[in-house]
Amino acid sequence: MSARRGTAWIPPLVLAAALVVVWAVTAALADSAVYPGPGEAMASLWSDLGDPRFLGSVADTARVLLLSYVAAIAVGAVTGMVLGLSAFWSRAVLPVVYALNSVPKIVLYPVFLLMLGIGDLSRGAFAFVSGVLPMFLIMVEATAGVSRLHLKMSAALGLSRWSLLRRIVVPGVLPSLASGMRLCFGLTLIGLLLAEMFSGSSGLGYELLRNLSLARVENIIGQVVLTGVLALLPTLALQQLESRIRNRYEVAT
Amino acid sequence: MKARSSVVPSYVRPAPRRVAGLPSPMWTLVLVAGLVAALELYARSGAVSRLDLIPVSEMVVRSVELLGERDFVVDALLRSVLLICASFAASAVTGVAIAYAMARSRWVHRAVKPYVNVFYALPVFALYPVMVVMFGTGVVPIILLATLFSVVIVISHALVGFESAPPIVTKLARSLEMTRTQQLRKILLPSALPDILAGLKLGLAYAIIAVLATEFILATTGLGQVVNRAYNNFDTVDMYAGIVFVSVFALLANLALGAALSAFDWRRR
Repeated sequence: MSARRGTAWIPPLVLAAALVVVWAVTAALADSAVYPGPGEAMASLWSDLGDPRFLGSVADTARVLLLSYVAAIAVGAVTGMVLGLSAFWSRAVLPVVYALNSVPKIVLYPVFLLMLGIGDLSRGAFAFVSGVLPMFLIMVEATAGVSRLHLKMSAALGLSRWSLLRRIVVPGVLPSLASGMRLCFGLTLIGLLLAEMFSGSSGLGYELLRNLSLARVENIIGQVVLTGVLALLPTLALQQLESRIRNRYEVAT
Repeated sequence: MKARSSVVPSYVRPAPRRVAGLPSPMWTLVLVAGLVAALELYARSGAVSRLDLIPVSEMVVRSVELLGERDFVVDALLRSVLLICASFAASAVTGVAIAYAMARSRWVHRAVKPYVNVFYALPVFALYPVMVVMFGTGVVPIILLATLFSVVIVISHALVGFESAPPIVTKLARSLEMTRTQQLRKILLPSALPDILAGLKLGLAYAIIAVLATEFILATTGLGQVVNRAYNNFDTVDMYAGIVFVSVFALLANLALGAALSAFDWRRR
């Protein structure tokens, strides 16, 4: 098993290494100021990381992201579960939410700015909205999909509403909750970065656009890599969590 | 009242056809109408400045007016539609091709799959400034980014489709000594079609989001830029009109493609 897992890592690493080599070679050949190689990008990232103002920006993004992500997961999961319990109201409300979800939300961001002002509140609220709608939809579908057999059994046992929720519904939707948590992390982060890129005085998105106006491409690329790594670590952890929960709670059909 | 007289809890009873005399689609309408009316009343009540919010009726009137303005239609609408179509077409073709390569070769599958899995956790829009420096603020970075953003969802759906071909059919193809092209045309594509179509539907939604978002952040023309410019000029009426227009546009485009694609979906016939 461990031997097979060992070889499974080789192809993706080979692909990544090949891409980096192509990048380095083309950058060396182009020798242009707007196309830095991997070495320059990493060097500028390293010097950025020594800058307290930049570290403050990273911390700002992380703080706002954490708050809006937790809020999106909690609100989306609870309201989604409540609506999912009623088939009639799901049918009435879902079309509206699906329609809202298909609208490119970034064009709504000026409304957030007008209502909440420029600052943590507006970008956090925007990141929250980017994450909460998908989470809500996933949870409604998951709750509607709780096995009818289990529901009938709990009706036969005369479970109260509360213990129905605690013993049947919540364990039934946990796998979907876990995959929703993974999906919404990326969406909340994208929402937050877009908001910061549009208007902000700190944060990773702001740093990216500030470097754009200074035309410091190597810094931008270094920050893109940093953002990727920062996004990847929680995602991998959430993936791990998801597979554990699936192993434990998923009902085989 | 009925709920109390029955010993069967409501969650196992079939959903009622009507609540308070109205079926669920009517309640959807009631909900939308209620939200719009609440916004309208709130905006007219004077509790909020006209610089922050305008009545919905004015937003709609202005966004219909926008359709009559040549500048808006040619510079913004047409341009954004062309960009969306170009990136959607590019991601549809390359997405299905990459998924086919993954289905064919185990090595490619293993090399690409982990990246497909984590792609949407990565903030792709962070790449946009890099592309702008390299290619300028023209159409190239927008198309590149929108294609990149929408291609991955096409890949992951098409891959599920290609892998859904039953093994027995693949064996049959081998014993009939079909060529690779024949296998693709007669077995893989038809069996993957419903999943590919689902992927394309999402691909369009993602392409729209990416084009509008990039235009919104940094571009000189386009639908997204209309909203951005109106916001920066404190032109609240045009800003809300642009938002309403973009929302309706995205909604209609997604619905239209969904309807068009489900005509090809043999699972729904």
